[in-house]
Amino acid sequence: MSTHDHNHDHDDHAPTREDDDLELTEGEARFLALKSLLIEGGVMTADEIRARMEFNERGSPHQAARMIARAWLDPDYKARMLADTKAAAAELGIEATEAALVTIENTPERHNMVVCTLCSCYPRSLLGEPPAFYVSKAYRSRAVREPRKVLREFGVEIPDAVDIAVHDSNADLRYVIMPMRPAGTEGLNEEELAALIARDSVVGCALPVAPA
Amino acid sequence: MADKLTTDIGGDPAGPIPLEGRDQLFWEKQMIAAFNLLQVKGVVVTDEFRRTVEEMPADYYAGSTFYGRRLDGMVRLLIEKGVIDADAFEARVREILESGTRDHV
Amino acid sequence: MRSKHEYGKYSNPERVIMSETTPSYAVGDRVRILDIGKPGHVRTPTYVRHKIGTIERFCGMFENPEDKAYGRWGLPPIPLYRVQLKQGDIWPDYDGGPGDVLEIEIYDHWLAPAGEATR
Repeated sequence: MSTHDHNHDHDDHAPTREDDDLELTEGEARFLALKSLLIEGGVMTADEIRARMEFNERGSPHQAARMIARAWLDPDYKARMLADTKAAAAELGIEATEAALVTIENTPERHNMVVCTLCSCYPRSLLGEPPAFYVSKAYRSRAVREPRKVLREFGVEIPDAVDIAVHDSNADLRYVIMPMRPAGTEGLNEEELAALIARDSVVGCALPVAPA
Repeated sequence: MADKLTTDIGGDPAGPIPLEGRDQLFWEKQMIAAFNLLQVKGVVVTDEFRRTVEEMPADYYAGSTFYGRRLDGMVRLLIEKGVIDADAFEARVREILESGTRDHV
Repeated sequence: MRSKHEYGKYSNPERVIMSETTPSYAVGDRVRILDIGKPGHVRTPTYVRHKIGTIERFCGMFENPEDKAYGRWGLPPIPLYRVQLKQGDIWPDYDGGPGDVLEIEIYDHWLAPAGEATR
C-alpha cells in the first residue's frame, strides 16, 4: 500500500508479523532491547502491548470516512460533528483518545489543510498513523508558507477565487477536514460515499471524486 | 529571543514533498503501542517526549527519521527518568544484535 | 534517579480541563503573538511571533506544556485560543490569494492586545 494510493487505505486487519523475513536492523534491535527491559522492569506486559496494537489498528482512515459520509447524508449529524467531533465519533462507536477534535468544513469559498509544523500531531483515532508526507520535514516546512504549491505537488489545484486556510496543529486540538461532497454522487449510499473519502482528503491534500 | 528549536521548521525552505510511503513495520507498530502505554500509564508525558526530541543535536535531528526519533527520544527520556538503565540498555542491544534473532522477546 | 513508584506524580496525557476562568480575549479581538524569549519547550513557532491576527475561537483550558515538558503538572491550566492570521501578514512575499489565512493555537501568555508594544 503506497502512502499516496487514495482509495486503498481502508485496511482493517489485526496486527500481523508480515515482515518476519526481514533482517534484524539496529533500529529494531534497539526497540526489542527497550521492550524487554520495560517488560522485565514491570512497566508493561507483552499482553498489554499486543492489546494496545489491536486498539491502534482500529484507528484508520476508514473511521473519518464513515463520519464524513454520514455527515454528507445527514445534516443533523453534520451539525453535531461540527459542534463536537468526539461525541460524533462516539455515536458511530469510535473511541477517540484525543483530548479535543475539531472538524473544519471545506466550502466553495474556502479550502482547508492541516499540518503540524513542530512535530506530527494528527487525529490518529480517526486516521491511523500519519503518512510519510505528513511527518516529512518538507511538508512541515512548506505547507504554512506556500500551500498552493504544496497542493499542486499532490495534484490538487485550488482556483485563485477559493481562499486557502492552513491549520497548524501545534498544540492541543486535532483537526479533521470535511471535504465537500463531489457532484455526481447523488445516488450513492453511506458506504459507497465513505469509499470515496481517502485519508489525504481528510488532511486537505486531496479532493474526493465521484466514481467514473 | 530564545534560540529557535530544531523542530521549529515552519516556513523554512525545503525540497519536494515525499509522496511515496510504506507500511509500518511490525516493530514500529509495537513501538507506537509501547509509547502509548507509557503515556496512558503516566510514565511519560507527551511534552516531555517532545522536549527530548528538541534537545537532540541539530545535525542528528536533520538526518533523523520519524520512527528513529520516536525510539531514541523514548530511550533518552526513560533513562533520564530512571525507568531504564543506560548501560543495561546498550548491553541488551549488543546482545540482540550479536544473536541476530528476534527470539529474545 | 526517580523510582518507578513515583509514576503517579506525572499528569495524564492531554486533556481539556473545565474551569470557571474567563478567557482574556473574545472572538474577533485583534491580538499580537509575542516572543516571550522563553528557552526550552514551547509550542509557539517562531514564524508567527510578532505577527498580528484575530481570535478565531477559545479552545478551552489546558495544562501548560512548557511545564509538563519538565515533569511538572502544568497547573493551573491556561487558556488556549486559535488565532487567525492573514498569510500576507506572516510572509511579506506570500504568493497565494489575498484571502488566504493561517490558523494556529496560541496560549494566553503568548498574546497581547494588538497595538501594545512588541516584546
